[in-house]
Amino acid sequence: MSEVWAFSESVAVANEIVSAAREVAAACSGQAVVVEIGRERSSVSSLGKKLVIKGPDLTDESPEMAAGALYLAARDAKPAVILVGATRNGKEVGSRLAVKLGIGCIPDLSRVSGDREMLVGERGEYAGKVMTKLSSRLPCVAAIKVGAYPAFSGSGGEVLAKDVGVVARSSKIEAVKKKEASTVDLRAAKVIVSVGRGVKKKEDLEMMGGLAKALGGTLGCSRPLASDLGWLPEECHIGLTGISVKPELYLAVGISGQLQHVAGIKDSKVIAAINSDKDAPIFQAADYGIVGDLYQVVPAIQKVLSSRHR
Amino acid sequence: MRFAVCVKHAVDESELKIDSSGKPQLEGAQARMGTFDKNAVEEALRLRTALGGEVVAITVGRAEARKSLKEALAMGADKGVHVLADPGTLDSSRTSELLAAAIAKTGPFDLVICSEGSSDTYTGLVPPMVAERVRFPYVGYVRKLEVAAQTVKAERSLEERLESVESSLPSVVSVVSEINEPRYPTLIQIMQASKKPVEELTPQQLGIGDVQASVRTVSMTAQAMNRKRVVLEGSPDEAASKLIDALASEGVIPK
Repeated sequence: MSEVWAFSESVAVANEIVSAAREVAAACSGQAVVVEIGRERSSVSSLGKKLVIKGPDLTDESPEMAAGALYLAARDAKPAVILVGATRNGKEVGSRLAVKLGIGCIPDLSRVSGDREMLVGERGEYAGKVMTKLSSRLPCVAAIKVGAYPAFSGSGGEVLAKDVGVVARSSKIEAVKKKEASTVDLRAAKVIVSVGRGVKKKEDLEMMGGLAKALGGTLGCSRPLASDLGWLPEECHIGLTGISVKPELYLAVGISGQLQHVAGIKDSKVIAAINSDKDAPIFQAADYGIVGDLYQVVPAIQKVLSSRHR
Repeated sequence: MRFAVCVKHAVDESELKIDSSGKPQLEGAQARMGTFDKNAVEEALRLRTALGGEVVAITVGRAEARKSLKEALAMGADKGVHVLADPGTLDSSRTSELLAAAIAKTGPFDLVICSEGSSDTYTGLVPPMVAERVRFPYVGYVRKLEVAAQTVKAERSLEERLESVESSLPSVVSVVSEINEPRYPTLIQIMQASKKPVEELTPQQLGIGDVQASVRTVSMTAQAMNRKRVVLEGSPDEAASKLIDALASEGVIPK
């Protein structure tokens, strides 16, 4: 039976990829196989079959090594599909692996299906303006967008080990520093208050944080606040080159709504926006809009919220 | 040192029109050098200023992709390399094959710089594929880059952490957009760009035959933005009150 492999170096993402692999396996009458590199992580679902690739000093922390290990294992096992999580490192793993195996790699898909011969998937392109359907003949590699599938949980499958020997790496990691904030918090947030250039001073973020707190939410931002001004950590940057979020409520405060930003918030259930420019593109992407000065509107919202809670 | 920068002639997503049947009109759509590619060019220029040498901008595309090379040349690149191919027939794998062959033919290079992704399709697959093909070490998603005689020291920005990575030259790197602020060329630079040399290469000249891409586009449909677009009128207090009521009745905040 043809195998559909699922790999991600991130535990949280790995369980999402397992969900995707199970769907693809069902569609192509294959078997989903969870693949781990270097060591078995018990928090990664193992219902069905799990393959642990081993070798001296082998670690999934190096995408180059992960790709090398997957290549050596896939060369023998010949899986029909290899799904990787489209994290930054995951995309490197998928790209390298596809070149090594001489097969196609379909980039970050938000939906994937297929049959015995083809893998078909969809992804947003042109800053989310277009949904593109892509296909590849099997075998192939595909990267699955983070957050696109629910995490699968299960345990009790058979665990196999495969030794691939020495896998080369050409760069070395000298130091690792955890980022200040976690993108996990924003991805899981039910309510996000997101701020943009309309905020005049860094000190004013305190007021915005207060609004987020009053709504039971988390503070995010558009690109300029993280990348250009550095007022919030890069991990809070929502948009095409930052992270994609899908909260119940996305409240954009002083964000103009460039396509790149909107690309990261499209899947929100409700989008509300406050902006002083009535022609700001964010109003086209929002369910509810208030045209006004955020320095008046935000305190007014907080007043309403506190009076309701009394 | 010789620096290669890979750039893409990318459709300007903000100008992309959707026809009445809901299909994007890519044919004849306005295109320019990918937004993030400017960061890659800027980084190469910065390194050239510090270390001396030459910056070569490389693109794969149809005749009109020359425009994007000119943008890179106007910013300050010394030379252009244009691999003539129709991107409609290519996938990331084929594109990386052409780029790798062009890098080999017009090299040797000490460092190949790419952006994290093109602003149109933003797949981010090509840079590691190029590295895999030219067999250089690869450091992706770099937000700080130091290059010395033999080594590259880079800070990589991943989802949850920053990694300080060291690799040796030659290397391929991809840079994230926060690495620098790309310069705007002056009018004189734009005019002078036309005089800079551009080498045209065909896939045949690179020894690459006509192979079909593995990944193909099946269809493209415009994404409808089905939002209510209700503007809440009134004074800040009135509008705020209406907003909270609306959000509560949507069930996204407690009633």
